Amino acid sequence: MKIMVCLKQVPHQDARLDINADGTWIQEDNIKFEINSYDTYALEEALRTKDAGEADVFVVSIGPDRVGQALRTALGMGADRAIHVNDDEANGSDSLGLAKILAAVAKQENPDLIFMGLMSDDDNSAAVAPMLAQLLDIPHTTAAVKVERSNGTVTCDREIEGGAHEVVELTAPCLIAVQTGLNQVRYASLKGIMAAKKKPFDVKSVADLGLSGQVGTGAAKVKIDRIAPPLKGDTAEILSGSTAEVVAGLVSKIKELGLL
Amino acid sequence: MSTVLIVTEIQNGSLREACYEVASLAQQIAAATGGSVKSLVMGQGVAALADEFSKKGGGDVFLAEGDALANHNAEAESKAIVAAVEASGADLVLIPSTPSGWDTAPRAAAALDAGFVSECFDITAEGGSITYKRRVFNGKLEATISASCDKVVASVQTGATTPFEGSSEGSVRKLDVSIGDLGTKFVEVKQAESKGVDLSKADVIVSGGRGVGTPEKFLEVIQPLADALGGAMGASRPVVDAGWLPHEYQVGSSGQVVQPKLYIACGISGAIQHLVGMKTSNYIIAINKDPDAPIFEVANLGVVADLLEIVPALTEALTAAKG
Ligand SMILES: Cc1cc2nc3c(=O)[nH]c(=O)nc-3n(C[C@H](O)[C@H](O)[C@H](O)COP(=O)(O)OP(=O)(O)OC[C@H]3O[C@@H](n4cnc5c(N)ncnc54)[C@H](O)[C@@H]3O)c2cc1C
Repeated sequence: MKIMVCLKQVPHQDARLDINADGTWIQEDNIKFEINSYDTYALEEALRTKDAGEADVFVVSIGPDRVGQALRTALGMGADRAIHVNDDEANGSDSLGLAKILAAVAKQENPDLIFMGLMSDDDNSAAVAPMLAQLLDIPHTTAAVKVERSNGTVTCDREIEGGAHEVVELTAPCLIAVQTGLNQVRYASLKGIMAAKKKPFDVKSVADLGLSGQVGTGAAKVKIDRIAPPLKGDTAEILSGSTAEVVAGLVSKIKELGLL
Repeated sequence: MSTVLIVTEIQNGSLREACYEVASLAQQIAAATGGSVKSLVMGQGVAALADEFSKKGGGDVFLAEGDALANHNAEAESKAIVAAVEASGADLVLIPSTPSGWDTAPRAAAALDAGFVSECFDITAEGGSITYKRRVFNGKLEATISASCDKVVASVQTGATTPFEGSSEGSVRKLDVSIGDLGTKFVEVKQAESKGVDLSKADVIVSGGRGVGTPEKFLEVIQPLADALGGAMGASRPVVDAGWLPHEYQVGSSGQVVQPKLYIACGISGAIQHLVGMKTSNYIIAINKDPDAPIFEVANLGVVADLLEIVPALTEALTAAKG
């Protein structure tokens, strides 16, 4: 069995979010990046199938040179090979553009299963996974918190509201977009990182995928015109001063609320 | 001129409140562009709901019925949406961003080769163009988005708009959808198991987020403050995902919804999924080292500082004050 895992490299969760010069995204120079948290759970789920001796796992990511690091981390964690779509022509793609690129990779590779994260920690759109499934005409589910395979079908619990789960059965090939907490994600071991250096690492261009002119800024149907800190409505009254002063303020408020 | 198609969702035999929230946006956009509102109602045996919605904001309703639509099924719903867009000539499709909505909407957008904007908290039409607003970076920034294509699918954040309360005129028309073979099968909904920790009864909840740093600090820093106030401990999702605390401590859209007299959020940024679980608390105190954290927008009182300094000092002062 062959499993494809789609990864996005995103700004580190604790990175400073300064707005860039044209006001359309954050300033990405000199900040730390990491693998999108949701995607780490997707990769872990695929690697567990591999550990059981049942699958080869390849990872795919779209983005500039820095993304190579995310793919190498994934190889270090145990993925067998990596495909890096590294091409300026992909820049500015909207969700549908990204889904088209991943669909072209999937059509070359014919995976039995595709795992990805429910959403990205930066854009939060949760759009690419269902779009990719549609472009490949395969079933999908999102927010999976439990995944079980048996002969050609995959049964998933998807998280709905208030802790309830919806159980769905998908016929393979299919795509599963996972929710965080699905499993406990491993770290790349030193041995894994050494071994990763010898693993196949393909770099592809948009043209290699037969998508020239169909993705990137020019083809994007939607775009961000402006990004800004949210307009603050009523915000909290802020207590300032030394720790002792702040604590005294908190204690007097708690007394006033009658909770002491 | 926009033809706006509302994709409704039925839950436990009635239309979700979110459908009426979407209807207010749809009605505003149609009014501003001289367009019209149409709707899609999907399910099995739901003709009465279609009729009801046509009068309460939905306008002309397309009714798609079938076994495959009786429960949520992204593949089947996506096909029904495509059929409804063709039948209505809609150029803007609005759908509530619920667990079903977020599963289906992007799939339908790809099937329509349409632009997609996710989880908008506002959509406005002005001077012939439509502007979409949504939060990114887990609520820390706000993006203004425009589309340059003939069809757009947008999902709408639940609870962000006031539900439509006016009336509308419209007819109900049956929509034939050829669903065909599906690779997706709905099996069942499993309700949440009963909680070992019932946060809904606590007067005071002290919650910790990823900012607490380690599982030990929950026991050393967060729990003692909860104890000093005779309250309960809660947590944000990453804390539970990391296995630091069991799921019954989780507050938010996929955890418990709480409304204590006092909620103290420590090292929690204030993502929407957390906020929906606690924002109706009577009084909210937030302790966070980031002055721009969205949690301060819902808090009554805030402290911008290291929680590892403030919280133990507060616990000590409260213990002393009790004597
Ligand atoms: C479908 C879905 C359902 C979800 N359901 C839930 C849910 O039920 N509940 C939930 O909570 N989340 C839920 N989430 C996740 C949610 O989107 C956020 O990722 C999550 O709430 C963030 O948790 P956090 O605030 O603890 O972490 P972060 O967003 O990482 O914030 C940590 C905060 O700690 C602060 N901090 C760090 N160190 C310190 C320090 N020493 N002192 C003071 N402050 C410090 C930082 O400034 C930061 O603001 C859901 C997401 C999805 C997509």
